[in-house]
Amino acid sequence: MDLAEQTALTEALDRMWTRFLPEMRARVAILETAATAFAANTLTVAQQEAASAAAHKLAGVLGTFGLTRGTELARELELMYSRENGPDPAFGARLTATAAELGALLESRN
Amino acid sequence: MAYKILIVDDEDDIREVAALSLESVAGWEVLTANSGAQGITRAIEFKPDAILLDVMMPGMDGPTTFRELRKNPATAKIPVLLLTAKVQGSDQRRFADLGVEAVLFKPFDPLTLSTQIAGVLGWK
Repeated sequence: MDLAEQTALTEALDRMWTRFLPEMRARVAILETAATAFAANTLTVAQQEAASAAAHKLAGVLGTFGLTRGTELARELELMYSRENGPDPAFGARLTATAAELGALLESRN
Repeated sequence: MAYKILIVDDEDDIREVAALSLESVAGWEVLTANSGAQGITRAIEFKPDAILLDVMMPGMDGPTTFRELRKNPATAKIPVLLLTAKVQGSDQRRFADLGVEAVLFKPFDPLTLSTQIAGVLGWK
């Protein structure tokens, strides 16, 4: 693949990123909502499952768009939300901070 | 050689990036499906040289889709590569034990995905 083709691929990926950004933001919003609910001790099973699924999807895709750190953060959240009895109470602040860092990472790619 | 490959994934972003990658980097012919059921139908119609199959999908998941493909004489011999974001060792062993050609991991690098697939399948 020559340089011109690589550039064309990178540009096409950038266009895709822009197109899928609202979906990525929606996934992060699910994580922020779940973190807020967890902090208030009102996290439901449905919210926990939605957060686990959103984190799983972000973990799978962010690195593909060059956001390796985003994949690491999303994996961390997936593990926390996929615990049978919900996240460990000791990690409440971590849930909020990680979701916020993910949100900031998404915006940093633009 | 322009191989034909079928990508089965319920996530639009993953499906589209993988398709772009395989078409533009390797020049392969790509068809996509957004569910296991649609993947089986397209595999029968399209007769791909290989199938890239997501593990976690609503309805028919990747392992179930793989078993259905193996049961059907029209698709039984098509090489299948599972694509997963699961990184835990127990999951990896469970997927490898299914009998797929390989388990590839998300996130993938769009520049090297085709090389990974070609390497596993011995494609030049």
